[in-house]
Amino acid sequence: MTESLLAVRGLSKHFVSGNEPVPVIEKLSFTLGQGQSLALTGRSGSGKSTLLNLLCGLELADTGTIVMHGQVFEAGGTAVLRTAKAWSALRRQHIGVVFQDANLMPALSLLENVRFRAQLAGRDPANSEDWLTRLDIGELAHRYPDQVSGGQRQRAALAMVFAMEPALILADEPTGSLDRHTSDDVTRVLFDLQARHGCGLILATHDSELAAGCQQHLDLGHLNAI
Amino acid sequence: MKGLPSLFPPTFHTFFLPGGLLSHYRRHPLQLLALAAMIVIATMLWTGVNHLTSQARASLNQSEQAVAERQQVVRNDGRALAIDDFVALRLAGVCVMPWLEVTPETGSRLVGIDPLAAHCFGAGTGASQALDQPLDGKPFVDVYAAAGVSARESRLYLLTPEATQATDLPGGYSLKTFATSPDTGELGDSFLLNLEALGVLVLLITALLLRAVYLLGLAQRRASFVLLHRFGVSPEQVQRWLVLEILVLALVCVVPGVWLGRWLAAGLGGGFGQALDGLFDIPLYAGQGHGWITPVLVMLAVVVLACLGDLILLRFRGRLSLPVPVRAGLATALLVAGLVLAWLGPSLAWVFGAVALVFAGAGWLTPAAVAHLAYWCADRSQVPLARWRYRELAVLARQLTLPLVALQFALAMVLSVQALVTTFEDTFDRWLGQRLEAAYYIEVPAGADGRKAAEWLTSQQASIPGLQWHRVVRGQAQLANAGSLQVDVFAVSPVGSLMRAWALVEAADQPWETLASGEGGMINEQLARRQRLEVGDSLQLIVGDQPQAFSVLGVYPDYGRPVGEVLLNAETLPETFNIRFESISVSPGEPGIAPVTDALQRIWGVNALTVRDNGTIRELATGVFDQTFALTRAMTLLTLILAASALLMMGWVFFSTRAWYFRLLVVWGMSQREVADQLQRLALLLTGGIAVLALPLGIWLTWVLVHRINPLAFGWSLPMAVYPAFWLELCILSLAIGLSIAALMRRQLGSPAVAPASASALTGDER
Repeated sequence: MTESLLAVRGLSKHFVSGNEPVPVIEKLSFTLGQGQSLALTGRSGSGKSTLLNLLCGLELADTGTIVMHGQVFEAGGTAVLRTAKAWSALRRQHIGVVFQDANLMPALSLLENVRFRAQLAGRDPANSEDWLTRLDIGELAHRYPDQVSGGQRQRAALAMVFAMEPALILADEPTGSLDRHTSDDVTRVLFDLQARHGCGLILATHDSELAAGCQQHLDLGHLNAI
Repeated sequence: MKGLPSLFPPTFHTFFLPGGLLSHYRRHPLQLLALAAMIVIATMLWTGVNHLTSQARASLNQSEQAVAERQQVVRNDGRALAIDDFVALRLAGVCVMPWLEVTPETGSRLVGIDPLAAHCFGAGTGASQALDQPLDGKPFVDVYAAAGVSARESRLYLLTPEATQATDLPGGYSLKTFATSPDTGELGDSFLLNLEALGVLVLLITALLLRAVYLLGLAQRRASFVLLHRFGVSPEQVQRWLVLEILVLALVCVVPGVWLGRWLAAGLGGGFGQALDGLFDIPLYAGQGHGWITPVLVMLAVVVLACLGDLILLRFRGRLSLPVPVRAGLATALLVAGLVLAWLGPSLAWVFGAVALVFAGAGWLTPAAVAHLAYWCADRSQVPLARWRYRELAVLARQLTLPLVALQFALAMVLSVQALVTTFEDTFDRWLGQRLEAAYYIEVPAGADGRKAAEWLTSQQASIPGLQWHRVVRGQAQLANAGSLQVDVFAVSPVGSLMRAWALVEAADQPWETLASGEGGMINEQLARRQRLEVGDSLQLIVGDQPQAFSVLGVYPDYGRPVGEVLLNAETLPETFNIRFESISVSPGEPGIAPVTDALQRIWGVNALTVRDNGTIRELATGVFDQTFALTRAMTLLTLILAASALLMMGWVFFSTRAWYFRLLVVWGMSQREVADQLQRLALLLTGGIAVLALPLGIWLTWVLVHRINPLAFGWSLPMAVYPAFWLELCILSLAIGLSIAALMRRQLGSPAVAPASASALTGDER
């Protein structure tokens, strides 16, 4: 058994619709080892994005515990501010997040985006251009996000994430807006780099083929029906 | 209606298309409300200013017509005229018309005239023009009605045509100039010109704001238009509906806007009327402005042009689209040409054209300059966050061009109007101080000898503690230095303590002592500026047909009075000097004014004296001026608030489209507080930068108003003063707008509903 990167115990989250509480995630528990990958599947609204938000502290759980990178986050604790700060520090240095699109600052070039993210994480930005080259978009380094294709933007987003040397990558349908060919291309790069650098990966997706590429699989649609 | 189907074919579109187009506003009703509110407020503001200016202009014209014939008959014994005098003069065959001025217990001054008695004046004279006015109490009424009014004060004048000679009059009467108002020269016109210029600027600013809000709405509806295009609706059909939509919206909003503007003008009209009355003796009597048609049509045109100018210019768009360096060059050329023209322009038309060029150039350059400066800073910054912030600033400067330029213009206008008004106010304070130094002002009656009063007052000087006085003699002289230019003579004697407190613009050593010794004279500021006279220069005057030379001992401020004036020692005036007016200024000390007036009545052998309490006049005048300046400030402040609200609204809407990128910073590990801090710094950089860029424009506009427009229009110039404390106030206001935008956005950032823009929506506009 590999050393645990992430442990989730009894995690629950609900939203309020009208005056009615609507449970999204109920008593969820799982663990993810160093360098392992986990696919989150389930239909729209099953809570995939919410779970990713909980796992990086963008939203706080109602109950349960998250142990991430050695730090313990108890839901419902009183030290909310301290918790928010701790999550911010984790996101800044150890968690890379990739969304379906709009992962880049439009006013910065691809290279500047990668450098920006690396410097925020406290990493040396000198390798930023290398990362773009390794993702086959080195020649586009000085272009702006609106000047490249969707696939190239997602490659730049991956370059940005890997440049910060994360412990965990949270990817929320990273290929959702791409065509099949480009999607396969980006997925290949993602898995390849994740395996090579030994970071954890949690991938929310509708795509069963993509999910099959992960070592673990969690079907939220099975667990939670809204 | 028959043409409608062919205009919007096919019939299905007539119902489907507007529904599709308006669906955006159903989803975002606040945007429609904002556009409508902007049209209503802009219309209200411009209508208010325009309405007041039109009324004031009409009042000025009417007042000038009414007092154009300036000759009256007075009694030689100085007593007030009565009906018996009218009867005696008519019996002697003299053409006279009663002019009964009545100040009722409440309400405005009335003038009672007798149309029947005025027939002998003949057509085309000023008095007969006065009679052409309706006798509706604004201000003219029949003399019978005026006589029946319960009055605080009333005075009868008997006007007579210019053709009447002194020899035509029976014994005991003489002719005198009829002037119910002081000669303000073009001061009133200047005041109105400033207001009209304000109105034009307000119109320009509101047009910019309307365009900004409308274009933002269009940008947000772009997706709907694309969808309609996919459904087979041609762009032309969409454009036609957009024209119809804005026309209907404009009609719906302009009419209440005009009504509100008139209401605003009526509300302010009382103070404004009092200001005009007090300042220039031009009561706000005339008409009700241009009515409804003109403002409605003007604002409709402004709304349609501001919002749909692009559609009108569509066919020229290809030719109008210039590369960025060419546009920057053109804007710089406009700016430089405007600056040079404003400096050297030989006439008002040139200077106004120059102002338009400078505003066009500055408006075109400012956002681009801010954007370029931001890029420059970004390229030199080693801190990634700062680099990102500067890049975002550049995007904002480009995307918010119109509201930013409108705010810049509004700030510049407020700054220049404030500087002008404050300069006016300061000068007026000094003027009041020098002219109303004495506590009382006693008119020397016709036929009476002022020197006798002076002798008596001199004899009392030792026995009445605190008595201060001087005799004032007014008349005219020719300035031989300037081709026999006619100048007013303001002569006093003795040159005592009442005079010596005057603040002089320039002075020789011991000017008052030298004047008291009769060895020189002083000149007013306007004469000095226009004839380029300085202290020490020699004045060649022809006084009472006698040439006299005076050395200029000092230059005194004169509140922009257009007529040149010379201050002399009355003892130096020759016997032949034609005294047009004579008075005694006196501060009577502890015994009060009663012993003085009793003595003077006795000396002059009259039953009554015209005595003015200068303290009351000063209090009234100061109050009226305060009200006038408060009004001007209120108007400019309202414009600023409008511009600030528009920027606030648009800044908020635009920042909303960027909210995801701020959210991305949180995802990347920055805390909410750090992101809010970045947002705040960005908003402050933007609005603070605009305030800083508005300062030179405002100072330049002040300079143009003071040193170019006023001298060209009216031949006089006030000293130009700058008020750094007010600059600071404006900068703080701008920063407050920035803070408000940041506060609104901060709330939005806290919402988990912030979503990324669709990748397909990425355009070059985002950077």
